[in-house]
Amino acid sequence: MMTTQTAAPVHDEAPALVSCAALAVGYAGKAMLPPVTLQVRPRQLWAVFGPNGSGKSTVLKTVLGLLPPVAGEFACTASSLGYVPQRSEIDPAIPARVIDMVRAGVERKWSFLDPSWTWKNRAAIDDALGDTHIRALVREPWTHLSEGQKQRVLMAQALAGNPQLLVLDEPTSAMDVHAERAIFALLDDLRRRRDLGVMVVGHNLGVLARFATHALFVDKDQAAVDAGLVRDVVRGSAFVERFGRGVAEHLGASDAT
Amino acid sequence: MPPEAPPTLRDFFAAWELFADPALAGALAGALLGALGVYVVVRRMVFLSAALAQAAGLGVAGAWFAQIHVGVPAGLATPTVGAGLASALAATLMASGEAGLKGRRDGWLGGVYLVGAAGTLAIGTRIVQEVQDIETILFGSAVAVSPDDLRALAWTVGLLGALHLVGLRGFVQVAVDENGARVRGLPVRLLGLLLMGSLALAVSFGTRILGALPVFAFTVLPPLAALRLAPNVGHAVLWATLIGALAGFAGYVAAFLWKLPVGAAQTLTATVLLAMAWVAGKGLQWQHNRSAHRGGHIHGPGCGHVAIRHGDHVDYLDDGQLQHQGGAGHEVHHLHGHVAAAGYDHGHDHDHEGCPTAPQGHVHGPGCGHPRIAHGDHHDYLVGGRLHHQHGDHCDDHGPVDVVE
Repeated sequence: MMTTQTAAPVHDEAPALVSCAALAVGYAGKAMLPPVTLQVRPRQLWAVFGPNGSGKSTVLKTVLGLLPPVAGEFACTASSLGYVPQRSEIDPAIPARVIDMVRAGVERKWSFLDPSWTWKNRAAIDDALGDTHIRALVREPWTHLSEGQKQRVLMAQALAGNPQLLVLDEPTSAMDVHAERAIFALLDDLRRRRDLGVMVVGHNLGVLARFATHALFVDKDQAAVDAGLVRDVVRGSAFVERFGRGVAEHLGASDAT
Repeated sequence: MPPEAPPTLRDFFAAWELFADPALAGALAGALLGALGVYVVVRRMVFLSAALAQAAGLGVAGAWFAQIHVGVPAGLATPTVGAGLASALAATLMASGEAGLKGRRDGWLGGVYLVGAAGTLAIGTRIVQEVQDIETILFGSAVAVSPDDLRALAWTVGLLGALHLVGLRGFVQVAVDENGARVRGLPVRLLGLLLMGSLALAVSFGTRILGALPVFAFTVLPPLAALRLAPNVGHAVLWATLIGALAGFAGYVAAFLWKLPVGAAQTLTATVLLAMAWVAGKGLQWQHNRSAHRGGHIHGPGCGHVAIRHGDHVDYLDDGQLQHQGGAGHEVHHLHGHVAAAGYDHGHDHDHEGCPTAPQGHVHGPGCGHPRIAHGDHHDYLVGGRLHHQHGDHCDDHGPVDVVE
């Protein structure tokens, strides 16, 4: 089965931060999913989900510019992107304090011609620390933090660059339900207060449906891609095929849109 | 005849004019290679410096071979030129080939290392009059450094030092998080090329003057020591500069005092400094834990643990244990019936098959997804602000607690 669906109309008319029109993503010129069509706008929270190995990270890497599109149109008009990698990608053997991690986020405009960039942007660093409630931890080593604190640090790092679009790769893996909900509540608060567009990869459908405004469901095995409002995506044939009608109806009733 | 007295430090400094150039060369090379080595270690490519040093060694041997057997003028085929060309070629091969290696970077480095080592030994058999110098290249037994070499090394250290001081934050970002640096728009490719070029230059000079063994040692051991002591990678670069300089200088002095080969003495000195740093790092960690955490983690808003109001204070739920962040660290608090939220009379308020509020058929237990919490002589599970107790095939309600959002 090959399913492709265009994103449903968005809430507002704010200019899109990311526009994909029949975008094919993959490696070495070979598409691994059907074409994706969607637009991410400010204050929208897009949940990117699907089975393991279904192509979620490939979509994110393409949006981040780490992978070239295989085909189709892709435009990113966000003046800056914030990227929150998986916590497992941070090497615990490399020494770093919370403040060092967050400072790295403002290096966007760093160059040999302006090596003092970080010092000039300390207000942005302080705002990011405050918004993620980790001011008390600035001198703590990364390895001493809990999983929830580490996630907040990585979010602060991304926010320090004052992004318009925040992209998070599985921010709540290895967290219990409470910590996961707290992270998503923070994310929800941040997108509203900072007018952020957010794309987040996750697995917990209940939490994603609770906080997301939009969803991108990808399933390499079914050769299916479905994008739009959460309630539409979870009632789509690809989602129902994978998770069943009962789950679809339960989630459709709890989405944030 | 009385046995000869072992040399002393006084003897060393009495002959300072004789030893100044090689000792200072050791310090300068140690400082430069130590600083650059931090990036090598952080990027998990320590064999890069070994491979570059062997390639530089092959270049030195090749220069002599060209002078003796090919008739290239000595002014052109100098060992310094040979080392520089060979290490630059190896660095270029590694930088350009990396994209096609598909994760086999270590194999590629091993190949360059082996070609460098085998080529140096093979050429050594054809330049027997220089065999002593081949040993110098491989093991670093140099005892003298010419003023010209020292001057060239000082210029190299100065120029590369200035470049890396200005570009410190960029080099650090790319080494620590290359994908993140790419997303943030840093000139990743330029910084990578500059780092590779700096390494090729430093390694070729170092190999020419000190030998491959101490060059490899300086790019690995001082950085490891520095990363053990420093709070972040930027500070580690500074620490590694100092430790590398100390290892280069003190290693030369040790070689004089105990009549050891210079390269081996410098390598062993760097190893001793690494051991000292490891012990010091343990001490710093212990002190940090003692003064700030005591438990390796500070509980507080946003710490990731569920916060529960417990009388007049807030505790945090950590691995089933209720912990209070006090001035002296974590105190374990106990939850009994009387501290649950008001209105609870410690009874079994309901008696259902499975859990009444969690998804149908849910059975509480380790890994069920709900936070476990010690309650009197048993464990409950926290669901929607209430304590659920799995009792055989049904779930008892052990009442509410105040969860702090």
